[in-house]
Amino acid sequence: MSQAIALHKPGAFVDAGTLADGATLKADVVIIGSGAGGAVSASQLASAGFDVLVLEEGGHHTRADFKMREDINYPMLYQEAGARATKDVGVTILQGRAVGGTTVVNWTTSFRTPAHVYEHWRSAHAVGGVTVEQLGPHWDEVERRLNIQQVSLDETNRNNRVLYDGCKALGLAVETTRRNVKGCMKSGYCGMGCPVDAKQSMLVTYLPDAVARGARVVSRCRVDKLVVEGGAVKRVAASVIGDDGYNVSGKQITVEARRFILAAGGIGTPAILIRSGLGGGMVGRRTFLHPVHGTAAHYKDPVEPYYGAPQSVASHAHADRGDEVGLFYEAAPMHPMLAAVATPGYGAMHHGAMQRLPYLAAHVALAIDGFHPSEEGGTISVRESGAPVIDYVVPLRVRKALLFGAKTLARINFAAGATEVGFGEFPHVLARNEKELDRLTENYDVMKLPLFSAHVMGGCKMGDDPKSSVVRSTDLRHHTLENLHVVDGSVFPTSLGVNPQESIYGLAHLISERLASAWKT
Amino acid sequence: MNRRTFIRRGLWGGLLLAVGSSIGLASWPTDRSRKPRRGLRAIDERHFAILAAVAARMVGAPKADPIEIAHRIDAQLALGAPEARADFGKLLLLLENALAGLVLDGRARPFTHLSPAAQDDVLAHWQRSSLLIRRSGYGVLRKLTQAAHYAAPEAWADVGYPGPPQIGIPS
Repeated sequence: MSQAIALHKPGAFVDAGTLADGATLKADVVIIGSGAGGAVSASQLASAGFDVLVLEEGGHHTRADFKMREDINYPMLYQEAGARATKDVGVTILQGRAVGGTTVVNWTTSFRTPAHVYEHWRSAHAVGGVTVEQLGPHWDEVERRLNIQQVSLDETNRNNRVLYDGCKALGLAVETTRRNVKGCMKSGYCGMGCPVDAKQSMLVTYLPDAVARGARVVSRCRVDKLVVEGGAVKRVAASVIGDDGYNVSGKQITVEARRFILAAGGIGTPAILIRSGLGGGMVGRRTFLHPVHGTAAHYKDPVEPYYGAPQSVASHAHADRGDEVGLFYEAAPMHPMLAAVATPGYGAMHHGAMQRLPYLAAHVALAIDGFHPSEEGGTISVRESGAPVIDYVVPLRVRKALLFGAKTLARINFAAGATEVGFGEFPHVLARNEKELDRLTENYDVMKLPLFSAHVMGGCKMGDDPKSSVVRSTDLRHHTLENLHVVDGSVFPTSLGVNPQESIYGLAHLISERLASAWKT
Repeated sequence: MNRRTFIRRGLWGGLLLAVGSSIGLASWPTDRSRKPRRGLRAIDERHFAILAAVAARMVGAPKADPIEIAHRIDAQLALGAPEARADFGKLLLLLENALAGLVLDGRARPFTHLSPAAQDDVLAHWQRSSLLIRRSGYGVLRKLTQAAHYAAPEAWADVGYPGPPQIGIPS
């Protein structure tokens, strides 16, 4: 145990704005990022007796701030005020930015990493230090802590139910999902922060656990860079974010520690390494997004896609399509702003479609990118201001899969009774039956499909070959800096084929246990 | 489109952005009749006038307020990276630019001087363009303007959205 334990302050959530300009904080372990990876690591390491300090760029918002309003909560809780996108603006990216990270705004869908994914990583990416067998007990523990349980069919809203019914009618495998909720009121506002703390996000679980064991969580603190001296990371240079929640205040702080864990996510973690002069090699390479295209189906009776648990049904019927890119299908909640963004066209046409919002069912096809050798994903770089940029030209084969996925979702909705299904911006496909669907999608230019993403994975891949990875798999330690680890979704060598949160929780739980054990000796 | 094609289009797009913000017919003054109601945080009054003109065509709701929409986007841009603000300004000038419009669409007037129907035609050209930068630019302008309108409670009743439920917050 280090001397810092003797100086251990009581745990607390601290707003960086309350710190003095030029302040220097000290800890055993600094964790950069408070989302799925950072929060679980903080809790585990604090429980093991380490003095843990978590730095988070976003604000510390709690249920009283979650107003169930898109105009208030998207700017408050999402990266770039909800307007993050790839460099060519071809993919809009919804990613959280708050104490608790994306777990504060995700739609609660919880899957363990499929076993074949780790098998692929072992054979194709030299990931020898982690297996699903090793992860099993850690997932068990995470599922207990976060109350992850399968939804019963009668708990689903109609938006999800039509996906279920349509899949069943077509003979496609479909199941209700597992969700990390306790006392869920099914209001439908998971994406704007849970107003009743039913969602078992990091904000109300592992972060308070960490604080109860002495960890400090410093919000509104943007890490500018890691400072390396003598072959080790010595400290973190950080800027305090101002009152608007985004721009820097001018105040700067320094954090010194013996060990550093990057957990800033698939975009933030590589960006910090690059800003620190630690880029190159595989840093900021192989970023995957589960690129998404959605469909809008209209029904005669109200669907009310804005109420009820947002995601409670998923189909992985097309996750394995042989050499073709795999897909999975889920529902998407639609409040007016998201619906406006997802609805193509402008002027009267757009407004006319918007007026049918209560009758709209919205579903998404998510492409499982990164498994074919030709799929190299996106790259992360930083602009002059230090802001990250993701450059991802989604390949043709992924786009072709998404057209197949959109057509499948259209068929599912027809089978469930939809009167009309639409997708694409221009050409906009609007079909009333399968015959029209086939005619309208013949020779469709898939490069013009507008895409979005809510899952950022990769960018600092793990592996046991230093030439093709950034961190080694057994403890996610940087290949050359012995006191630097990366514990977040950026270490995944490919996408996952499932919503990522539980994959990150389980891996962080396992790795932080290993780290605690190694560091105590 | 393969990567090489994309790069070519990307370069062409970069050239267009440069044209949009510098040369020739770009000097035709913007119609600034759509003025801000309060101080601007991220864009200037010329950008604001173009943005409000775009909002007036993009958002079809009868009660939409293009000036307010432009203010909301200005506030959102103030939270973004400075490079993103600069890119957005260039995008607006490219749309406004008469020279690029003349070359690509056969229109010789800035966007803000066109009739509403002619402005709709320009948006249609951008929506359907084979140039990635125009399609992407259209997407950015469409999503930002429509999101800024429909996110606010004033827009909800028009689209049949009852608003969030009353939830008893546990103590």
